[in-house]
Amino acid sequence: MSEKPILEGINLKKTYQLARLKVPVLHGASVKIQSGDWTTILGSSGSGKSTLLHLFGGLDRPDKDGGDVLFKGDSVWSRSNRQINRYRNTDIGFVFQFYHLLPELTMFENTLLPTMLVHSKNSIKENKNRAKLLLEQFGLGHRLSHKPRELSGGERQRAAIARALVNEPAVLLADEPTGNLDEETGNEILDVLSELHSNGLTVVMVTHNEVIANRGNNVVRLRSGQIVGSATLAHSS
Amino acid sequence: MYQTLLTTRYLTSRVIPLIAVAAVALCVALVIVVVSVMTGFLDMVQSAGRTLMGDVIISYGISGLPHYEDLQVKLEENPNILGTTPIVDGWGLLRMPYPDSKAKQSETVQVWGIVPESFAKVTDFSDSLQWETPTENQRDWLLHDAITTNANEIQLLMSDDKWNTFVELINKASSTLNFAEANLWEDVQAIVTSEQWQSILSYDERLKSPEKLRAQGLSLSRNGKAGIISGLHVSDGNERQRDGTYKVIRNDYWWLPRFEGTLTMLPVDTQGGIIEPESIIMPFVNEFQSGVFMIDESRIFVPIATAQSLLHLDEAEIIDLDDPTMVLGIDPARATSILIRGIPGISAIELKEIVSVIYDNFRANMPTDTLVFPPSQSDPGLSINTWEDQQRSFTGPVEKERELMRTLFSIVYLVVAALILSIFWSIVFEKTRDIGILRSIGASRAGIVWIFLQYSLVIGIIGSLLGLLVGWTITKNINSIHEAMGNPPLAIAISSFAIASAVAIYTFIKGRTGMMLPIVLGSIGFITFAGIGALILFIRQIGGLVIWDASVYYFAIIPNNVDWPSAIVTVCGAILFCALGALIPSAKAADTDPVKALRHE
Ligand SMILES: Nc1ncnc2c1ncn2[C@@H]1O[C@H](COP(=O)(O)OP(=O)(O)OP(=O)(O)O)[C@@H](O)[C@H]1O
Ligand SMILES: [Mg+2]
Repeated sequence: MSEKPILEGINLKKTYQLARLKVPVLHGASVKIQSGDWTTILGSSGSGKSTLLHLFGGLDRPDKDGGDVLFKGDSVWSRSNRQINRYRNTDIGFVFQFYHLLPELTMFENTLLPTMLVHSKNSIKENKNRAKLLLEQFGLGHRLSHKPRELSGGERQRAAIARALVNEPAVLLADEPTGNLDEETGNEILDVLSELHSNGLTVVMVTHNEVIANRGNNVVRLRSGQIVGSATLAHSS
Repeated sequence: MYQTLLTTRYLTSRVIPLIAVAAVALCVALVIVVVSVMTGFLDMVQSAGRTLMGDVIISYGISGLPHYEDLQVKLEENPNILGTTPIVDGWGLLRMPYPDSKAKQSETVQVWGIVPESFAKVTDFSDSLQWETPTENQRDWLLHDAITTNANEIQLLMSDDKWNTFVELINKASSTLNFAEANLWEDVQAIVTSEQWQSILSYDERLKSPEKLRAQGLSLSRNGKAGIISGLHVSDGNERQRDGTYKVIRNDYWWLPRFEGTLTMLPVDTQGGIIEPESIIMPFVNEFQSGVFMIDESRIFVPIATAQSLLHLDEAEIIDLDDPTMVLGIDPARATSILIRGIPGISAIELKEIVSVIYDNFRANMPTDTLVFPPSQSDPGLSINTWEDQQRSFTGPVEKERELMRTLFSIVYLVVAALILSIFWSIVFEKTRDIGILRSIGASRAGIVWIFLQYSLVIGIIGSLLGLLVGWTITKNINSIHEAMGNPPLAIAISSFAIASAVAIYTFIKGRTGMMLPIVLGSIGFITFAGIGALILFIRQIGGLVIWDASVYYFAIIPNNVDWPSAIVTVCGAILFCALGALIPSAKAADTDPVKALRHE
């Protein structure tokens, strides 16, 4: 437990400004993500789960004096724009509830896209092979040149996971990845995450569903923008 | 590199870019056509003015410049001056040869008394003459006229028998010539001896040597008698043909060089009062076409001496008012203006300065015993102007129109710019969520702006080049398009109706499936094509449509040269506005937090 966390949120505060109204969403949430864990963040709708994950993923900025996110011990939010771009692109993989694939690109291009955004350490060929491999691994080998609108929700979400993984990130952040899917398809996605986790990937997943939360080995409870508990589960599997 | 991928996909997977290209192309084409026609029009006014008036004009109202010939000598000594020519101008009434009845028509004309030799040096006078040699038909008319006016003399040449056949031949020809070629030339030649033929021909030198027609124009005289050259549209007999050439109605019956006209002018005394009008009968020797309708419709040229004597601007004796028998001196002949042409390369403004200096010198060095001094430059009646200044007073309305056009163009440009901006604005705005996705996976702001910049540049460049092509094609063919519009072919009406019925049938069949789009599009198509057909029939019904009326726009043809400087500005401007239209919203979207952009619906 004294191991240095790979990702850490320290006293995170986030307030949204709605016209003249201030909507405080996070009131100093602190979360530690240990490397190799599958952490689930559990909370009811509106409790600030997505907001928290966005702060972790470098997609949204905490308030001034609203704490910081540390990645491998380094501050994320004191980085330059350029470094944040690199963080989003390479250090983190983000999976959204609504997939967020680019409609004009094929599944293969969508998956490959992150490797094209930042100067990649691998060759183009290697990246292409990896993208293809990931899609094949997720059962989308026959869907490479299809556009997102031609695929089912489950297929799209698997492609979104492939995209998140293509740059071999240290952490995969998933915001209710099953929230938009039926139970069976959702379970398929969870199986994919489970497999990735067992292969050593650090996963952080947000959900409002107790059962789904229990798929992880570490559950963090969030209520009204505050961490109200954390439990490590022992899995038999 | 991912930008290129995305730009290509955005361009190829939707219809919007095509619509944007079409919109840009149409805007560019519209501006190019309108600007080209308008500047072409103004250029034509100006260059016509220059070729008609030389570079610099000295003029002195209606009383005229005395000693103008001495001034000309002084001016021509200057190496910058190529030539000078005096003008006496005034208004007159010209009695035309038509109609056939006694009550002949009179035209108000602007009379220019000229010295044809020097006038040709300063202006494009010699190129503007309409008739070079008579056509066969015109020659037949000349022969006919020569014979009828000299019938008594010709009768003496031949026996009575022959005379009778001759008269019969001529009478027959007279009645046909109005309608068709009569072959009079060959027929007469066949029945007379070569001696008689020669004496008939000698009645009109244009019969023996056809090139005399032009020569008489250049010298403004026939058989030593002063003649008139009138603008091509002064006579109602000249009709413009489709191909831009002119034909004289009634088979050359009213071909002016056959006739004489009576010119009446009103001389004005030193107090501005009108003296007894003066008239003179003169033959028409030729006609001219400057291309400026306003001039061709009202101007005639006569020898300067004729104009001077009609206007009492010729040399006169100055007599003592108390003792009319006492001649005090000579009042020299006067010219109302002097046209000056500079050597190539000298600007009209420079030349104006030179002329002004020469004029002052000339006036200062007049012999001391001079009775009538030329006016000083402080005299408001005297003006030394460049052709452009002169043009301004002469085509003031055109200048006003140019101002109006400038304002209109600024508005057109603004509208086009706003349109292009809004097209791109909505295209990029629609892509806000994509921008959020790209940002959330690590794309830089600049990278995102570059996607849309490329996108807009491709559309802008293709669209505006297409527009340039369309604009160029329309401008080049504007005269035939105008003519086709004026008298649209029936075939287009018929095919429009055919397409309209086909669309109606298609709409009916498709409409039964209950689909809305085919019904909407079909109805629009039907109304459009049926409307085009009906419009064409209507235009044909009212006998054609003339948009470019020569009498309103001064010129017989619509200018059809692309105004390249403004075409290039338009093309660049369109591309620039495309780029701006994409840059602003994409920069804005790239700056918003990825999460906010992702929430965009
Ligand atoms: N951009 C925004 N502007 C204003 N308020 C916001 C914004 N984003 C989120 N909120 C508010 O913050 C609160 C937390 O939102 P958040 O999306 O983090 O909740 P969540 O726990 O993910 O809920 P869900 O389970 O429904 O996704 C909500 O009350 C929401 O209305
Ligand atoms: Mg959420």
